[in-house]
Order: sequence, then structure tokens, then C-alpha cells
Amino acid sequence: MAKYRFTPRVPRKYIGVYRPRSDSYEKASGMAKYADDIALKRQHPEMVYMKILKSPYPHAVIKSIDTRRAEAYPGVVGVIKYSDPEVASLKTTSSSWTDATNTIDRRRSWSILDRKVLGDTARWVGDEVGVAIAAETQEIVEEALKLVDIQWEVLPFVVRLEDAIKPGAPLVHPEINPESNYTPYREFSGPDTYVDRGDVDKAFAEADVVVDTECTYSNPQQCSLDYWDCLADWARDGQITVWSNSYAVDQSRMHLHDMLDAPLNQIRVISPYVGGSFGRGDSGDQPFFVLSALMSKKTGRPVKYRQTRNFHDTRLSMIGKVKIGAKKDGTITAVQIEETGNIGAYDDWSVAVTKIVPKEWSENMLGSIPNLRMASRTVYTNMIPSGVMRSVGNIQVNYFFGLALDELAEKLGMDPIELAIKNITCNNVPTPNHCLEEVLRAGAREFGWDRRHAPGRGEVFEGSKKRGIGFSVNNTWHTENQEYRRGPTQVLIKLNPDGTVILNAPTVETGTSTNSCAVQACADTLGVSPEKVKWISVQDTETGLKDQVQTDSAASYLLSEAIYQCALEVKGKLLEAVARKLKRKPEELDVHEGRVFVKSSPEIGMTIPEYYASVDLLTEDTLTPIACYYCRPLSLDDLGQAYRATFAEVEVDTETGEVKVLRMLVCCDGGTVLYPSGAEGQLIGGQVQGLGEAIYEGMIYDETTGAPLNFNFIDYHFPTMEDFPDNVDPMLMEVYKGYGIYGCTGMGEGSPCCTPRAIANAIYNAIGVRVDALPITPIKILEALGKEGEQE
Amino acid sequence: MESEKLSKGGETFSVLPCAEKLKLRVNGKWYDFQVGKDIEPQATLAFVLREKLGLTGTKISCDFGECGACTVLVDGKATLSCMTIALAVDGHEVTTIEGLAKNDPIIKAFANQCEPGYGTAMQCGYCTPGFIMSAKGLLNENPNPTVEDVKHALSGNLCRCGTYSAVLQAVMHAAKEMRNKRKA
Repeated sequence: MAKYRFTPRVPRKYIGVYRPRSDSYEKASGMAKYADDIALKRQHPEMVYMKILKSPYPHAVIKSIDTRRAEAYPGVVGVIKYSDPEVASLKTTSSSWTDATNTIDRRRSWSILDRKVLGDTARWVGDEVGVAIAAETQEIVEEALKLVDIQWEVLPFVVRLEDAIKPGAPLVHPEINPESNYTPYREFSGPDTYVDRGDVDKAFAEADVVVDTECTYSNPQQCSLDYWDCLADWARDGQITVWSNSYAVDQSRMHLHDMLDAPLNQIRVISPYVGGSFGRGDSGDQPFFVLSALMSKKTGRPVKYRQTRNFHDTRLSMIGKVKIGAKKDGTITAVQIEETGNIGAYDDWSVAVTKIVPKEWSENMLGSIPNLRMASRTVYTNMIPSGVMRSVGNIQVNYFFGLALDELAEKLGMDPIELAIKNITCNNVPTPNHCLEEVLRAGAREFGWDRRHAPGRGEVFEGSKKRGIGFSVNNTWHTENQEYRRGPTQVLIKLNPDGTVILNAPTVETGTSTNSCAVQACADTLGVSPEKVKWISVQDTETGLKDQVQTDSAASYLLSEAIYQCALEVKGKLLEAVARKLKRKPEELDVHEGRVFVKSSPEIGMTIPEYYASVDLLTEDTLTPIACYYCRPLSLDDLGQAYRATFAEVEVDTETGEVKVLRMLVCCDGGTVLYPSGAEGQLIGGQVQGLGEAIYEGMIYDETTGAPLNFNFIDYHFPTMEDFPDNVDPMLMEVYKGYGIYGCTGMGEGSPCCTPRAIANAIYNAIGVRVDALPITPIKILEALGKEGEQE
Repeated sequence: MESEKLSKGGETFSVLPCAEKLKLRVNGKWYDFQVGKDIEPQATLAFVLREKLGLTGTKISCDFGECGACTVLVDGKATLSCMTIALAVDGHEVTTIEGLAKNDPIIKAFANQCEPGYGTAMQCGYCTPGFIMSAKGLLNENPNPTVEDVKHALSGNLCRCGTYSAVLQAVMHAAKEMRNKRKA
């Protein structure tokens, strides 16, 4: 299939231009440093390694613990037990999003504080409890942990959501809810039914057509290769320094402040490049930061802690029920969505997945539906904790809704794309939504949607293979007015006498290419080449500005708008200074590639170094360097919404059940596309998750022992280069215009969002039978085709 | 060398004899290590490269041979350094990402990749040195690989950011440039 070459609607010198990443040589040459590369003993000779005991049981409580043999093991330097006063006295916490950068109490929402930094009760196989040990080498810690004598009381456990909600099920958190495994009512997230407008029941009763669907979403893992780690140093003078690959340095600092009651000017958190996040932990709240710091205080040594493959959390597995009522002409009159999520052993901001995000999703997708009811519940089990992951919450609700929409279209005898255009829009924009329609029509045209056949009625290839196509649509993630919780955006630009620039656009670069967007916005506005702009890659709470946490795809556009304003100020100062030299007015001048010139006579001018060389140090203000700081408030204007759509063609082997994705088209309206090479990388790259979640990924549990079975990259398979289709084509568009000079919307976070539904609908189109429980494995296809057992 | 008894933590262990010295040629320079003093006998090549030589371009991720992030060349062949005991490659030639020339065609191809329709050849960059060393190993053996050859050779390197399409382009470009150089 053809590759689409993006053309920007407003041509600019660097913004909107295909070019290499700003950090590409640093990364390709192995010079880019990640936290694990600076937390080495050769750099910190006093460093010790800490590990925490992992529970072998899905549910158990420690009755007694004896660490004497471990403490006597040569090389062990520190042991902290759950009963030691420094941890026993700590308040409970969570591993969750902290948007607290100003005050710890000013949060958008709270997780249930159901975690202890080091407790006595294990709630999943792998739960870190009981004792932490620090030693000179990793091998010594591992050996010492084996020498801890523990008496466990093994408790009954439950891993399946269906079992956990039965009366009499073992209770995972009786201290939180003594009656059942449902998470209790939380004031900030409201009741189970969190959206209820119009009269949904009446509308269903009056509808010409009603569809009622149910399907499940599984629990894939983030699988970033740069595992969570930190190096904590609690010096004798009280200064706490933490190097980590958290992408939320300010939040980590607030968390340590909150938990350890240390003043903020004594806590310093530093993060360099991060090797992928995808929502992993999604926070600065991590109990291991606190425990590492306490171990450092106890031992007087810097303490390194690093997780291994069998960590992270997962996406929330869910059961989703969607009911849609419509008139014969395809006007949807009522929608009801009910989700039940298995959150595993700890809450970890599940409310984002099950309420906050689906509510936002409904505001962006179901704005025209007069009667709407949305409800959700979350359930504790003895599984790995589930929380946020790239496309958080959105991907599940879109998967559930996309099934009902496809079924409704079939029942009405309507094209599902026409049905989507007729009904889907955001609040305050009537249907048909121009932005949505542009994306869907362009995608349908380029993909060849008109060649779609009736379900199961296509040609048969090689005797047993059937092909089908499907699509799914979603809003992009995110526009600015949804990001108010982040507060203002801060940037600092420094123009040096040699014409080079230092750009402090604070965010941890996890791969999203926010740094490239920032450099290009700065270069464009200031009139210098991007090669002259150095973006500060290490975020440091002591010397830096407030960081934009790298989530929701918001950092790129929030920072670039602020950089534009800031660079204008720098440029203004430069032009004023040079205007005095040239005896011109500033408005007569401009800058190009670091040279200030007179617009009407470009031959008259001077480079930035020439200007500085001409300054009389005794009599003139040298402005060395020209530095400007800019703080941009967020806009709360409702400027509508941008959309994305994914189209997929699959081939299903009806003999083996194997699904092969033949091609995909990923269309995304980015408002202004700041950096097309990076944006296309996001649209393609997200499919390693989207496609993986559709047909490969999910945690597998042994229900008799409660142990996870695929905690490695061999048994937990995500697409490799050999599995990944050749034809995954990105299509960048610019229809939407948001706030500011660029008016962007996020692009990367939602990249996988539409994929599982597009593939599931394509499978249905191929074989004429619905298989919707993710991941759609060969065995499920064969079962649906009535061929299970034939393999034996 | 005889086995010795060692008492640790109240238990007695038998320690098997092993080589006393390790000699490695890394990126063209010889290094000597005293076993038991500079390194433990069980130290992996990845650990020695990162901790002892500071060559942190080699990443340790899964530490179990599943992800390819630790790939280096041993005598020109792509090798998982996290699965290689350093003593097992005593006397051999090891090349890490830091050992490639500044203008190495594969590094250049990865760094410059921005061809419309494919994205960039790295995002977070954590897997990138491993991919480049695997590609180097492939092109050492097969200077004229097909798309399928590249996919097969690099299928042991995981990239969760999903840069496979761009990596494939970069490796094909690098192979072409290296062939052209050889002709010239």
C-alpha cells in the first residue's frame, strides 16, 4: 500500500517537517544515559543493592519472621522488617498517579490507600512484603533473602473476577471492605452510576432497534524494557537524593515529602532518559522510593533498587456490557455502558480506568446521545495489581462500544462508518462532526472500505483462509482543556553569545519525541537551526522547572505553545539589542539561522556572535546570555475535539484458527503535527501494543495455585519484528485547531486505542462469527467455528 | 587448583576451582581481571562491560536472554552478553556499541531514519544499541540480506515502542551503503 506523505497546512521551517529525532545520534551511539546507567557501583562505590522479599503465595500473612541468619551472611549491610518502627509507623499509600506538584492535598482524585510500604500481608504471588535486605552485591541479597526464616499463614485466595464477586469469596482487603471484594464508595469518584442523563429506560422502550452486547478485555502488561529503578542516598546532613527512571520527578519528590515528612528543599529527584513507560506505575507514588530512602538512612550508603521482568502492573481486565437503542434511520437515542474491572491486589488509580477516562470518552464521543447511562465497579482479586497503561480506560470502553456499534449497523443494514458519522461527536458540537467525518472518510477511501464484503461471505484463499476488514474510531488523546490538572507550563530559553541555545522544556523523555517537538518549536520561532538548540535531558527538582509529566500525549503540545511564547520574548530582546547597533527599529529586523538582518535589505545584518563581539562591556547592557522564562496558563476553552481511526485487514485460517493482520491504516488528526517523523512513529509503534493486545497478550494465571504463568518475554509474547505486518501505514491529518499558535492535540497515547476493536471486527467480517474475548487466540477462533477438539 | 570449603551464614559451601584471570579484548583494547578480586567467577559479560568498564551502551533488561537489549559482538558474532559468563569468552574479542566507529553506517542509518511512512528507528532508545549490534552481526555474515533475513535476524530484539518498520528500513539502507562503499 502507498505510504502517505504528510503535508502541513501551514508550512514552517522546522515544525511539521520530517527530520531525524533530536536525540537520535545520542541514542544510536549508546551515549544516552538511563537511570540504570548512572546507578552503577563504579560511579557510586559505596552503593549497595536492595531487594524485597517476594511472596510465593497469592494470599498469606506473615506470622513470624527471623532474619538472624540473613543478617549474619557476609556482605549483608542492612535489613528492614515490616515490624521495624521506621516502616510500621508509615501511613498507608498507593502506587498511583499523583498530580500533586504544588500541594500534596490538591489532587484530582485519590486512589484507595491500600498499600503498606512494607507490610505483613501478601496479596498476589510476587507481592513485596515482610523484609528488605541491602547487601554489597545482587547475588548476596538474593542468597540472604533465602536465609530469612518465615512462618506464613496461607489464606484462601481468588483470582477470577467472576469468583471474587460471589458471596463468601475470600476477601482480599477486609480492612478496606469487610463485606465484599468490591472497592468501596469513594467520595471523589461518585457513585457506581457516574453518568445518567435523560431517561435511558424510556428511550430503550421506545427505540426501533436495540442491541445488547457483552465482551471481555484482558490484562496485557506495559513491558517497557527499562524496569523501574532508583538509587536513593539519604546523606547524614538530611539531604535525600533519588535518581530514578520515574517520569514524574516533581511527583516523586512530593511523595517522599508526604511519606517521610522531610522538607522539600532537602529532597532532590533526578531523572534522565527513560526507556519506555507506557503507563507503567504511572506515578511518582511508589513504595520502593520510600523504602530505598529508609534503607539508605539506616545503612548510611546509597541504595539501589531495581525491579525485574516479573513486575509492573497490567491493564485492567474488564467485562463490558453495552446496550444501544436507535431509530430505524440510525439515530442513536440511548446508550448504556456497564464495566466491571478486575483490579488485582491493589487499587492503583483504577478509578481513572473505570470512571474518569470513560466519562471523558463519553464527552468526546457520545456528546449527541440524549439518554446516556454509564456505570462501573471495580473488584479486588489476588492477581498482579492492575492500573493504568497507555490508552488507559479508553481502549477498553472503545472496544466494548465498538462491538455494539458494529452489531447495530448490521441490524440496521447500515454501513458502520455512516452510523458513526451520524452519531458520534463531542459535547457542544452537533453531528456530523467535521473533524470526525474528515478522518473517517479519508481513512475509508484510502483503505478501500467499499470493498468490504458481508460477514463471512468473502473469497476463500488456499482452501481455508478467509479475509475481512474492520475499523474503529476514537477521539485523539488529549486536547488542552482536559489537561487542567497539570497546571501552568513552564519553560526557560537561554541564548548564548555564540548563538547556541539552551532550552529547558522540562519533561522526562520516554521516547515520545517531545524533545524533538520542543527543539523544533524553539528553532522555528527564534530563527536558529535545531542543531544549535540543546534540550536539557536530565530533569532535576533542585535546579529545574516544574516538569510536564509525559502522559496523555500532552507534554509535546503544552510545552511547544509555551516555547513559542518564550522564544518570541527572547527574539524580541535580541532584535531590540541589534536594532540599537544597526540604528533601526526592531520591527524592521528578523532572524534567520542565527543571523539578524534588515527585512527590506537582507544584506545588512549581523550574526548573534558578531553582535556580542560588538558590545562595549563598560557602557552597554550586554544581555549575556539573553534568558527568558515563560509560564503559560492552561486554556479551559472548549474547542471541540479531534479524532483518530484505525482500519485493519486480517486473514483467518479457519483450519488452525491463526489470525494474520495483513495491513493496517492508522489515521490521526493531530491539529498541527509538530514532528511528523515522531508522530508517524507513534502511530505505527502503538500497534505493537494494539495488535499484541488483540491477538497475543494477557497475563495467564494458574487458578489452582494463584501463580502467574507467563512472567517472561518468551511465554508472554508481544509482537517481534517477524510478527509485525509490513503494511502498517500512518496517515497524519490536520483538521482540528485547538488553542494557541499550533493548536495541537495529543497523538501517541491513544495510538493503540482503536486497534483491538478494528481487528476484532475484521475477524468477524472474515469468518462471520464473533470472537470478542481478548486476546483472540487460535483456540478461541476454533471454538467459535465449532472446531475445538479437532486439533487433537 | 583444588576445591575449597567456604563457610557463609552458618552453611558450608564447596567452591569449585576456576580460572584465576580473565583477559578480554574489548573494542580493540586488552583488559585483565583478577577473578575473585576484580570480578566474581559467575559475572556475566554484560555485568563486566557495564560495571567494570563503564560501557553502558550495552543494556541489561530481562537479564535472561529474552529481549536482546544486551547484544554485543563476540569475535564478530551477535551474542547475548547477559547470558554469557565473562570467563567463557576469555581471550576473545568483544565489540560493544561504543566500539563502532562514530560514522558507522548502521549507527548513521538508525540516527538519520525519518523516511515518510515509517517513523524513526528509535523512540525511547533502550533497545537501540542491541538492535544495532544484532544488525552488525547480521551484516558481518550476510552483506546482502533480504527483508526476511533482517526480520529473522532481529526477531530476538524486542522493541515495545514498536519501531520495527523504521529499524528494517535503517538496516536495509545501511547494508546498501556498506555494499556501495565496498565497491568504491
